[in-house]
Amino acid sequence: MGAFSLITDAEARVPRVVVVGLASCFGCQLQITNAEEHLMEILGQIDVRYWQLVTSEDGVEDFDVAIIEGAVTTRESEETCKFLRAHAAHVMAIGACACTGGVTGMASDYLGARTDLVYDGEAPDACGEMIEPRPVSAVIDVDSEVRCCPIDPYDFVAALQRALYGSNRLPEPRTMCADCKRNETECFFEQGVLCLGLVTQAACGARCVNLGRPCNGCAGMSSAANLEAARLSCETYGVPVESFDKALEMFNQVKLTDSETL
Amino acid sequence: MLYRVMDKRELPALVRAFMESYEVVAPVKRGQGYVFDVIESPDDIEIGYTQTASSPKKYLMPPTETLMKFDARMNLVQDYVHEVTPRVIFGVHTCDINAMNRLDTALIGGKYVDPYYKAHRDATLVVGISCTPNDKCFCHLWGADEAQFGYDLFLHDIGDKYLVSMSNVEATNILEAACEISEATDEDRIAFRQATRTRQSAFNKDIPDVQDVAMLMDVFHSDPFWEELGGRCLSCSACASVCPTCFCFDIRDVLAPDGKTGERQRTWDACTSPNFAAVAGGYNFRPTGRERVRHRMYHKLNGFMVNHDRMLCVGCGRCVAACKTGINPIEVLRFFKRKGADHAK
Repeated sequence: MGAFSLITDAEARVPRVVVVGLASCFGCQLQITNAEEHLMEILGQIDVRYWQLVTSEDGVEDFDVAIIEGAVTTRESEETCKFLRAHAAHVMAIGACACTGGVTGMASDYLGARTDLVYDGEAPDACGEMIEPRPVSAVIDVDSEVRCCPIDPYDFVAALQRALYGSNRLPEPRTMCADCKRNETECFFEQGVLCLGLVTQAACGARCVNLGRPCNGCAGMSSAANLEAARLSCETYGVPVESFDKALEMFNQVKLTDSETL
Repeated sequence: MLYRVMDKRELPALVRAFMESYEVVAPVKRGQGYVFDVIESPDDIEIGYTQTASSPKKYLMPPTETLMKFDARMNLVQDYVHEVTPRVIFGVHTCDINAMNRLDTALIGGKYVDPYYKAHRDATLVVGISCTPNDKCFCHLWGADEAQFGYDLFLHDIGDKYLVSMSNVEATNILEAACEISEATDEDRIAFRQATRTRQSAFNKDIPDVQDVAMLMDVFHSDPFWEELGGRCLSCSACASVCPTCFCFDIRDVLAPDGKTGERQRTWDACTSPNFAAVAGGYNFRPTGRERVRHRMYHKLNGFMVNHDRMLCVGCGRCVAACKTGINPIEVLRFFKRKGADHAK
């Protein structure tokens, strides 16, 4: 993120931005539009050269910031990432699929068997040349990430501003429980209910827990996640460890598969 | 200390009198537990609460607070008024009063005063209430089971009445105007003595009372125990969030969506967060749970004592409930007790 600063004086060019969707539901691109109250102000700071959700022009080559939503699931999307990296000064991954592989990433384990099951042995050409789903960062260097499924529109705006104007803020791999303590919500473990906040990157302010639901880990595991200790917590509070391991797969399968191979 | 006696049935009248000129926050029921929250009526108060999950620290040092506003394009500081609400924190236990005293020491007592904290503290009245310890309480080990100062009124439960310690003129005037108060009788004094004895005997005896804790922290600084304890840290900082004396913070500049203006905010941070000790050049001098957990316990049970003659831990027991892997000062005391027992063999 460091040395990138585009608008430092009035002479500077308005930063040119492209938004590209890979394997995803396009929900995170849609979330950007949900900042509608401020959308014009946000768009006023950039020159949107291409936005897959809303523009039809293709083949744009001149841009400064590339925003990528979705997981890399084909050779073609791998090439798209490399192309974007080669042309952009700043690459931002948005949403669980792009950051961790997300729900798409669940297919990273036993891809062949799953494809056979879904397509009865023969995948249509439209699927492209399929590879194990992976986050954007597995293919190219990523400068910034906006986590969660879906992203929070204002988290995106803050990340965009850091890309545009620079920031020395250090990423903090803290996990989530401190947020619940700030929010003064009750811990699910006290009721013997599984919650993935124990190992999940703090990013959303414990939004689901505030709505009465346990964390399902959409922000992805923190780089500081302590799985062994979390399993110990499960045992202490009467939560089956298998249910913890199973629940982790929804947003962390790629990481889990990778660590098995290591 | 001046003290008088009031009938317990007068409590709602006292609360209502405070509500006329202050925002009153008090322990209220939320789910299975309790939290400090703004009350609408004296009936909301759960005066017999055991412990709130988080502490009243949030009213003196909000989790996120704006320090100033700025114009990002002109690089200029804009006018900004720090909002402070005159407030009564009603029904505070001795651990939390002692915790506020420690925050005062750290944030007001030194050479550089924290003006934001001080503004909140100056606008706050504290009404304490005596309590009965639960199984996680160990305030008595650090002398935090009594509040010597740091409150405006303190209500000692003596049965049908409160023995009220009064240490502030304004709060006393409100009390006198709202309630019938009387001189204490010999009966009241005996009831007070019995209440303090009952409280003293109610502490969980499984929590070891160890002498020379601060010194022991130094003596066993390199013991493998810290790897065992810190190795199971989840890096969530729940302990620091519920702690009534953790006061570390981070400062961030946050831009408005239009990118033209912004504000500088401070937000709670903690030495248990993985990047807390990351410095220029990318070096992290407390890279693992072992160093971070040990450091936190050090500040609570050694460092503050060395500088200010009292433990930073007040034994409120909140982290005992908050930490899902059982990292808390009681485990440190148990470790020291085991070390003593090992030696005796």
